[in-house]
Amino acid sequence: MMPYFKFDYFGFDFSLVVAFIIGIGFGFALERGGFGNARILAAQFYFYNMRVLKVMFTAIVTAMLGLFYFSWIGWLDLSLVYIGDTYILPQIIGGLILGIGFVIGGYCPGTSFVSASAGRTDGIIFILGIIFGVFVFGEMFPLLEEFYNSTNMGRVTLPDFLGLSHGMVVFLVVAMALGAFAAAEWGEKVLSKKSGRGVE
Amino acid sequence: MKEWFLKLSTSKKLAITAALLGVIAMFIGNPSNDNKIYVNAKEMALSTVKNQDKIEVITLADWLIKEKSDFTLVDLRSEKEYSEYNIPTSVNIKIENLLGSDLMRNEKIILYGVDDIASAQAWFVLKSSNYKGVYILKGGMNGWKKEVLFPTLAVNATPEQSSAFEKLKQISLHFGGTPQLASEGQTTTATITVKPNVQSLPKLTVPAGGKAVKKKKEGC
Repeated sequence: MMPYFKFDYFGFDFSLVVAFIIGIGFGFALERGGFGNARILAAQFYFYNMRVLKVMFTAIVTAMLGLFYFSWIGWLDLSLVYIGDTYILPQIIGGLILGIGFVIGGYCPGTSFVSASAGRTDGIIFILGIIFGVFVFGEMFPLLEEFYNSTNMGRVTLPDFLGLSHGMVVFLVVAMALGAFAAAEWGEKVLSKKSGRGVE
Repeated sequence: MKEWFLKLSTSKKLAITAALLGVIAMFIGNPSNDNKIYVNAKEMALSTVKNQDKIEVITLADWLIKEKSDFTLVDLRSEKEYSEYNIPTSVNIKIENLLGSDLMRNEKIILYGVDDIASAQAWFVLKSSNYKGVYILKGGMNGWKKEVLFPTLAVNATPEQSSAFEKLKQISLHFGGTPQLASEGQTTTATITVKPNVQSLPKLTVPAGGKAVKKKKEGC
């Protein structure tokens, strides 16, 4: 039964090998999806190119349907899949800071590594920025610690929070994703005509 | 119908598949039934008979002295008992909270209560929920007190027993216990019934409850 690591199908050492292989696959998929290019990523924020939204929602829907049906069939124990605690305020602030950095730099942390691996200079500079930011955050941590650990809501999931069944949330997310895909396709056509910018 | 589906572009096919799975999911509701347990009765019975699921208190004391840390020691007693005295490195988890705790299914878990009863029940709860490495500290806290904190040497001990006791004494002192000689006139059987509660328990060096296991953070 999955998750294999939690059920001790392999030890910690081998889990690193597995992580390495999955990591390479993940990076490859991001690069092929066009996520190693800051122009495509930043275009999302100006709505010229909705590729980020499409790729993200596809990944979410695929993973969600997989987890839901695997656990329904009995291949997966959902209660063992790690979900981090929700610290609502620090996470909102952190998300905003990350978003600002994303618009300015054109990458999120993961895609900057994809871009650097593909040999792009801006990706390499971005990674140096990440390392500098991590250093500054680490030095400031004693000042931030109280806020960092504040408003802990514990392990929160959408079904618990909304009081709906898992299946209902799955359905709503799928409906939302399909709606977003349709809107994105339509929006790209309209905007590219208007501004004269191509979809790519 | 089939032709119509095949004519669609790949992304439309995928979208329709996702929509279908989403609608079916709505009717399935909640996927997992957490109250169901699977028990491999034979495997459990065998490990009990072979004593593979028990750990002697002296072995544990030895591991603690060597600072082995490949296991989690779980104290199943009440909070009050735990705060009065507990075996070093242990965490206090009540039996009803075991399954919701941070214990991992692939880690080595050693359980102890006042004696063997609570830990045997907890052992079954964990084993039936697919925890792999669950062990019982033989004798529980009573065993720990008797053999580690307050070991007693009989008056008429043989030289071998005496030399073995020297080692026990060192272990006992390490944990702040008081090794003792059985007083004159007492028979060896009487020494066994010595009430460990009479002696003063070693003071906790770390405030109880202040050393809960750090929550393991996973993911990015």
